[in-house]
Amino acid sequence: MTLAATGPWSGVYTKRSLVPVGRLAVGIALIVVWQLGTNTMGREWLPSPLDTLARIWQLAASGELARDTLVTFGEAAAGLILGGAAGAVLPFILRLSPRLMTALDPLISAAFGMPKLALAPLFILWFGIGITTKVVFVASIVFFLLFYNGLAGILSIDPRLVAMLRVAGASEWVITREIVWNTTKPFLFSGLKIALPRALSGAVVGEFIAADAGLGWYIQNARSLNDTTGVLAGAVIVTVLVMVVNAILQRVQARSLAWRPIARDMTV
Amino acid sequence: MNPRVIVDRLVVFVLVIAGWQLCSSYFGTIWFSSPWRVLDRFIDELRSGDLFFQAAYTLKAALYGSLLGGIPAALLPFALRRRPVAGAILDPYFVGGYGVPKLALAPLFILWFGVDLEPKVALVASIVSFLVFFSTTAGVNAVNSQYVNVARVFGATERDIARHIVWPGAIPYAFAGFRIAAPYAIGAAVVGELISSNRGLGFLIQSGATDFDTTLVFVSLTTLTMIVIVVNLLVGRCERWLLRWRPAQRGLTSKVIGA
Amino acid sequence: MSSAVPMLEVKGLAKRFPPRSGQAESPWILADLSFHVADQEFLTMVGPSGAGKSTLLNIIAQVDGANEGKIFFRGELIETANGSALHPGWNCQFGYVTQDDNLLPWRTMIDNVTLPLKLQGRFDAAARKRVDELLHATHLTGFERYYPHELSGGMRKRASLIRTLAYDPPIILMDEPFSAVDAQTRTQLQQDLLRLWNLGRKTIVFVTHDIAEAIALGDRVLVLSKSPAKIVADHRIDIKRPRDLGNLYKLEGFGDIFESVRRDLQ
Repeated sequence: MTLAATGPWSGVYTKRSLVPVGRLAVGIALIVVWQLGTNTMGREWLPSPLDTLARIWQLAASGELARDTLVTFGEAAAGLILGGAAGAVLPFILRLSPRLMTALDPLISAAFGMPKLALAPLFILWFGIGITTKVVFVASIVFFLLFYNGLAGILSIDPRLVAMLRVAGASEWVITREIVWNTTKPFLFSGLKIALPRALSGAVVGEFIAADAGLGWYIQNARSLNDTTGVLAGAVIVTVLVMVVNAILQRVQARSLAWRPIARDMTV
Repeated sequence: MNPRVIVDRLVVFVLVIAGWQLCSSYFGTIWFSSPWRVLDRFIDELRSGDLFFQAAYTLKAALYGSLLGGIPAALLPFALRRRPVAGAILDPYFVGGYGVPKLALAPLFILWFGVDLEPKVALVASIVSFLVFFSTTAGVNAVNSQYVNVARVFGATERDIARHIVWPGAIPYAFAGFRIAAPYAIGAAVVGELISSNRGLGFLIQSGATDFDTTLVFVSLTTLTMIVIVVNLLVGRCERWLLRWRPAQRGLTSKVIGA
Repeated sequence: MSSAVPMLEVKGLAKRFPPRSGQAESPWILADLSFHVADQEFLTMVGPSGAGKSTLLNIIAQVDGANEGKIFFRGELIETANGSALHPGWNCQFGYVTQDDNLLPWRTMIDNVTLPLKLQGRFDAAARKRVDELLHATHLTGFERYYPHELSGGMRKRASLIRTLAYDPPIILMDEPFSAVDAQTRTQLQQDLLRLWNLGRKTIVFVTHDIAEAIALGDRVLVLSKSPAKIVADHRIDIKRPRDLGNLYKLEGFGDIFESVRRDLQ
């Protein structure tokens, strides 16, 4: 009696071992293509991987990288806290008055349709080009993300569970703590998960439009000087930072929501 | 609809307008314009046709970008279905690409493609493609393997299976990807215009802001919001028609994801 | 009834799934399983839940491969364990009615029923007529343009049944097709199945965990043991046809066979 490893599955095993090699090969190929692009189209158009890396190194050594990153992170963090707190709390308040919720429905739908990124110029008009503008801008993005996710959580509450606790004599506070909070928590988490990278790129976009410091400002400034290497280096830095944030988030979430069945971000 | 709900909503509407009016009286119309000025200007801009022209420009960027990025992204998962090893090799690059903050690349696109339509199309395409790709991949992976087995038993070839089972099963997911992507596409086109453009609604907002023409900013923002709402409605309608074979579902998920 | 060469013969079939990671060996689902089915015979197999009945039918239908053993169709070797590529349905010779109806939700009922015929390029006037007869015989006429989710569970079962009958494979494998419907619908479906079988006699291998159903439908009942599945008994059912399935217990000899099958199962 032979093992199934020699059966119809054995072919797949040998092919599977190709995967790590293949991944490495694709990575190298991408860098080679980048270099070839540089060679054919010129450095002014596409700086070489090495040039870009050198610029990042230079920025790191001069302390510019740390300064601009700190500004951008600060804006993102402040906006995240302000907008996130407001957006997470509001659905719980709205739940207490179904009448208010229905009355506000068209307003909420309209706000949902509005591209928040387009508000940046208005905020600059109101708050100037300082850090406040970016904080408000990020806060507005994060607020809506958490608000809509929280609201979806509130709407998904099983009314039978609420009725059961009511019958058992629970107060409104107990219901909120036991059912509303536990139902809504995963929704708020997934909202936060989307909001974190968005907060960072929101701060960067805000800095594109008007700023005097931050990574977005650096990129935009480089663009106005036609310094392609600077633009590319800045874009690479922002990308890496966002990916690091995503990776950390993945770790944290995997731990804190372990009790849940597989969570998908994208549903149909 | 319940008459009380209508009254409630009217009250909310009046309160919003009144609050806005109060803000503009208190802080000055230079900061908040005023409801009447905005309405007046809106009608003016509509009459002159300028609003149509700018909106068409933005929509064109969003549409071209969506098609350019979305169609290959919707087809790729079908090609990868029978090539699991290639899929596994490319997977980290897709996930990484999805994580790249595409909006942060906008200046790069502008540097490469100039200030016209092309950089906005590229930006929109880069965002839409990943959303559609992952949604369609989920659909291809969700294909019911029992359907595939049963079809094989009654003589379906690999092509038949792709055509009659995988394709119709995954199309709803691809479409959901486009539906989710639609507001992002318009948003990305506008961001591209905010950063550098001489046309489009984003340009209108930006030029209004630099000229302290708050009325124009509000008019453009309102138009933009209305366009997104209408596009969402149309895409939703289209999707329901396309998926009329499915039992009725509640449409909540679209709200969970968006921004 | 049995001719010299059986319609279907299974010899020494054995099956286990590849081990999970961290597991040295996985248990055998089927072990040394042999039986044969004569032409136009209605064979039922009864076994406890989880006995590997679906796995067995999957292997015969060649949706899945076996680790050991051989399968002959009209004396021709169609399956040897390991290595050889699978030919699901053996070139449309085997029909397979699964536990779930597996109707494609995006096709109307009639489009589901005619799909195999269309894929096989055999959807001609004669086939059209045959489909109409089958629809009529199963009271599905008038529901052709409905989507599966708009039909009742019993109607979906009948649609999935005639989807297979419509293309007329010589052998039909049935995997507890009536397990998920209520008792009343179930009797009706069994009655329909026997009537359809009587119209044009086919070879049927019908798997179930319901003893009464196995006896009521079959010419012969094979009793399977718990996994690894083996055949522990072979009962010939001599109850006269047509059988009145509404009053099973009044059928002559039913009680005795039921008792002995029940004992075999334990």
